[in-house]
Amino acid sequence: MLIVSALATAVALALAGAAMAGLLGRLVVEGLDRRLDAELALLASAVDADGHVDRARLERVRGALDAGPEWRWRVDGPDGTLGSADFPRLDHPLDPPLGPAPPAGPLASRGPRPREGAAESGGEVHARELVIATPRGDVTLTAAAPRSVVRRPIEGALWPLLGALAAVAAVLTAALLVQLRVGLAPLRRLRDQVAAIRGGARDRVEEDQPAELRPLAAELNALAADNAAALAAARGAAANLAHALKTPVAALALDLRDRPEQAAQIERIDRTIRHHLARARAAAIDRRAATSLRPAAEGLVAAVGALHRDARIALDVPADLVVAVDAQDLDELLGNLLDNAARHAAARVTLGAVRDGRWVAVEVVDDGPGIPATERERVARPGTRLDERGDGHGFGLAIASELVALYGGALSLDQASGGGLAVRLTLPAA
Amino acid sequence: MRILLVEDDRDLGPRIARALRDERCAVDLVADGVDAAHLGETEAYDAAVLDLGLPGMDGVSVLRAWRAAGRDLPVLVLTARDGWSDKVSGFKAGADDYLVKPFRVEELVMRLRALVRRAAGHAQPLLRAGPLSLDAPTGTFELDGLPLKLTALEWRVLSQLMLRKGVVIERLDLLEKVYEGDADTDSNSLEVIVGRLRKKIGAALIETVRGRGYRLVGE
Repeated sequence: MLIVSALATAVALALAGAAMAGLLGRLVVEGLDRRLDAELALLASAVDADGHVDRARLERVRGALDAGPEWRWRVDGPDGTLGSADFPRLDHPLDPPLGPAPPAGPLASRGPRPREGAAESGGEVHARELVIATPRGDVTLTAAAPRSVVRRPIEGALWPLLGALAAVAAVLTAALLVQLRVGLAPLRRLRDQVAAIRGGARDRVEEDQPAELRPLAAELNALAADNAAALAAARGAAANLAHALKTPVAALALDLRDRPEQAAQIERIDRTIRHHLARARAAAIDRRAATSLRPAAEGLVAAVGALHRDARIALDVPADLVVAVDAQDLDELLGNLLDNAARHAAARVTLGAVRDGRWVAVEVVDDGPGIPATERERVARPGTRLDERGDGHGFGLAIASELVALYGGALSLDQASGGGLAVRLTLPAA
Repeated sequence: MRILLVEDDRDLGPRIARALRDERCAVDLVADGVDAAHLGETEAYDAAVLDLGLPGMDGVSVLRAWRAAGRDLPVLVLTARDGWSDKVSGFKAGADDYLVKPFRVEELVMRLRALVRRAAGHAQPLLRAGPLSLDAPTGTFELDGLPLKLTALEWRVLSQLMLRKGVVIERLDLLEKVYEGDADTDSNSLEVIVGRLRKKIGAALIETVRGRGYRLVGE
């Protein structure tokens, strides 16, 4: 854009320069013409009505006729030719004199006409010619001057002119640059905000924009809202399908509970539903959320504690921690980890969290048997088939690991100091 | 054990009821949230199994209504909603346990027995009264270390007495907990059941408290 504008400026200035040079040229040529016409008038004053040339008079005005080193004149009439010996060779006049013929008089003429030609030295020559009609025939008066007389002042004026134009071009381009930067700044800010929406840092752009951008900002916000609604709808649709399937599957399971083979198939259907439900939840992730960690953890500790009455769950989470994780995703993530820990714990589970720069580091530790080092990596790998290990460590850990990865955090498994499993993860702080 | 089963699915509800009856429970099945709220507030149950998605009034609201009315019967939420957020809100509304569909009947029954046992104040799963013992998770009675064969009604009466060992249990209270809501009850049949139980476990273990009810004795 800047380049196009700069080019356009340069072209406009070049045209202006050319026009000004042309105008200047015409003014200078007109000035020259006036001087040549004055010479012609002097020459004409030496021609009488009969076409005789008054040589004495010519001698008297001679000083005025030789205005410059290469200025030449000639009088061509019935009495022969007078004038400079090296008069330049002129082209035939191409254009007839303009305008109506002047009225007939003793020295009736058709007005001076321009002529071009070349001097013997080779230089171009500009000339004016006046034809005076006399009873004895036409007398042709010609005055010539070298073209360089015209060119020199033009060139003299042209270089400063070009310099000035170049300076104007530079200033205009710089102004354009500044204008572009300043004028496009709101667009750049808008782009940053859209990027922030995509990254999950905000959910809408500022609508307080310059008038030209306000409709765009409103459209972007509508788009972001539609997007969020579609996320929620996708999540809801997947959950509804899974839930709708669960009740008939439960009825089937009751019918088939005395038939182990069919019961195993029911179990498989159930695992598949859970797998895809978890996947749908993870795929419909919303990174724009901010959830307070402590209340979520308290609710989960109560729930997991009620489900596993034998396990005692200790909570070590500061009240002011807020994570950039959707509340349901956080519940899902920590619920699965706590449930896993409580299921495998001998007696104690600890949930701890600390702020670590832009992150919140979370730790779930149990005092159970732990997982062998060789198994740990495989179990926690995101994308591990969730149904591979049924109700063991795998299911919950794989969901948690996948959710953590989707929020840009990391999850690792370790041996707790007491020998149990320590799950360490990072979540983005809000 | 008398259970209030709240399940609106026409296929699933009767199946759960049958499975629970197979485990010697008395079951009242309702499919509507408003009916459930009413029954839970007016009838005596050992525990409730509560679905969350109900017509009339949703399960969480039913649960809140019971708690607001001061009913502290143990409630097990049985639902298709397996999200942890659902579980948390279920427990916050006053649930005692939470089971996700599909489920194994054995697990449902085991959890119900544990809820009833804890509600009666027993922390340990094995209950004793003299030569008699009840393994609460399986619901198995033993006499002198040998399994005791009991009918469903006998089992319900004996487990009520066992859970509140040493305490006089009113006849009406016992009748309520033994018979389903729509059953014809009369106290004569209760005396018949107690008589049969005395033959099986020895007359001395069950005391008759005249004009009031029965009491299980033995340390």
